[in-house]
Amino acid sequence: MKNLRLTVAEFSARSAGALSRTFLGKSGETISGRVALGLYPNSIKTLAAEKTVLLVSGTNGKTSTTKSLSQIVSSLGKVASNTTGSNLNWGVANALMNRNPFAVLEVDELHLPNVISETNPKAVLLLNLTRDQLHRMHEVKRVADHWRDACTQATDTTFVIDVDDPFLNYATQSAKQVIKVSFGGRRHSDGSVCPSCGKYLNWSGGIYSCGCGLTNKVADRTFPDGSASYRNAILANAAGEIVGAKAIEVDEKALERTITKHVGGSTATIRLTKNPASWTEALRGIDSNNVVLILNARQVDGLDTSWLWDVSYVSLKGKKVIVCGERGMDLSYRLQVEGVANTLVDTFEIAMSQFPSGSEVSVLAAYTAFFALASK
Amino acid sequence: MSKALKIVRIHNELLGTYGDQGNADVLAFRAKARNIDAQIVDISFLDVLPTDGDIYLMGGAEDAAQLLSLEALQRDNNLQAALDHGAVLLAICAGFQIIGNSFEASGKKVSGLGLLDVDSASGANIGKKRFVGDTKIKSGVVGCELTGFENHAGYTTLGSGVQPLGVVVVGHGNGDGKYDGAIKGNIFGTYLHGPVLARNPEFADLLLSMAIGEQVSQYDDNLATKYARMRRDAI
Repeated sequence: MKNLRLTVAEFSARSAGALSRTFLGKSGETISGRVALGLYPNSIKTLAAEKTVLLVSGTNGKTSTTKSLSQIVSSLGKVASNTTGSNLNWGVANALMNRNPFAVLEVDELHLPNVISETNPKAVLLLNLTRDQLHRMHEVKRVADHWRDACTQATDTTFVIDVDDPFLNYATQSAKQVIKVSFGGRRHSDGSVCPSCGKYLNWSGGIYSCGCGLTNKVADRTFPDGSASYRNAILANAAGEIVGAKAIEVDEKALERTITKHVGGSTATIRLTKNPASWTEALRGIDSNNVVLILNARQVDGLDTSWLWDVSYVSLKGKKVIVCGERGMDLSYRLQVEGVANTLVDTFEIAMSQFPSGSEVSVLAAYTAFFALASK
Repeated sequence: MSKALKIVRIHNELLGTYGDQGNADVLAFRAKARNIDAQIVDISFLDVLPTDGDIYLMGGAEDAAQLLSLEALQRDNNLQAALDHGAVLLAICAGFQIIGNSFEASGKKVSGLGLLDVDSASGANIGKKRFVGDTKIKSGVVGCELTGFENHAGYTTLGSGVQPLGVVVVGHGNGDGKYDGAIKGNIFGTYLHGPVLARNPEFADLLLSMAIGEQVSQYDDNLATKYARMRRDAI
């Protein structure tokens, strides 16, 4: 039996969400969760107690992998999820108000420790940990330290990690149950220092091993290397298995966060990119000779654009590259210095108009730009 | 110059957390625009630091990485030797702290290289928050405003042997909100990321001029000029 206070909180939250949807045209998830948590701070804990909870976190791939894991778990029963990427405490609270017996939730990196302790999840899938939004995260190691405390205390939880990421290995080192998945090793762009002991981390190709014992030489399962989408599909299946779900064939393309838009007679395939790791991955995937890059630097994009200089854009040489966005000039200058010819324009529409009608254009878009285009 | 301008990027795998490696790219780009042959040499933690560089660069880092970089630079006296020959040094954030007298990292106080007469405390230990955000300073030595992005918890005090790089207009700079960075002769320290030389071409040209021993020629890069102005107007 649920308590009256929670019932009232849920009712008010749903009403607030409905008002927000009707009058403001928003998803209503954030306001709804905020109202629930405001009226009943234990909402997450109480609502989660009735469900089998699985969490997904990491720097990149959270939203798409959460969708895949939801699909995998749905063979066992109905699944509640925050599929639009509303992944802070209130988004989690809102998703849990759903009556379904399973919950598969994506959780923001900084909110993960709290959500683990409140939901007592059956499984937590940790995808990767690299630099992102440093104005908020400050340092990668700092996030890993927060996770480590939470993982150590979650003795009922099984963690699924990509052990090739030394930060994930470190974060779950003292966890009770961990399934370590390796893809044969992969050099981590921020992994020069052992997160566990602070010594210079020895890398041989994609294999790291430290005198303190931290290594990806040992794994519970090993797969061949592949794209981030391929890895996330395998990791999602491993997490689903923990609650008894059968592995499914995951469409890798569906795991890339892309949308397609027709603009001025041309077709734009727009991919979400937000930090050095996701830019590097996305640049590798560009096969078109027509490219538009959109850079913004609002809160969720990361206020500081310095990281642009940690990505190599040389693969764009020889392509037709148009740059736009609120901070397009930062990117345009970065490209110029690397010798990548590009044209800076004011808007996405102008950028698309630089290509003849009927063109296929690859678009990489910062977080806020991606959602602005997705909602059009 | 008879030989190529040698730009030594120190420990980027450790001091590369905040994109500061771009400073080397900008220096090489602006040198080549003047037909000055320039070469970037990356020196890792495992390498011996060459003493024949013209410009040495250090960037920002997390605590453990900062301590490792210091450890490597203390293996020999090569950086000091290079500076004695007239090389130029630009050190950002954690790098700035390393070249000072002392700093705090991973909860301990350590002695730095002592190249600049500054001491850095961890702001957390003296009740200060982390300083994060767009920053603008007015620099007498560069002769203009400089913009960048600060992201640190350091509180750096300047000794009598140095001058600040600039007076803070927006942001916190060395933590006191009054000054940012420090300079002494051919040694420059600052908290500005961005990378600072990408956002402030005048600063890049000053370092290039010092390194080659004469004023670099006029070079009009419209985009670089527009970009610098855009950031100065925005902050």
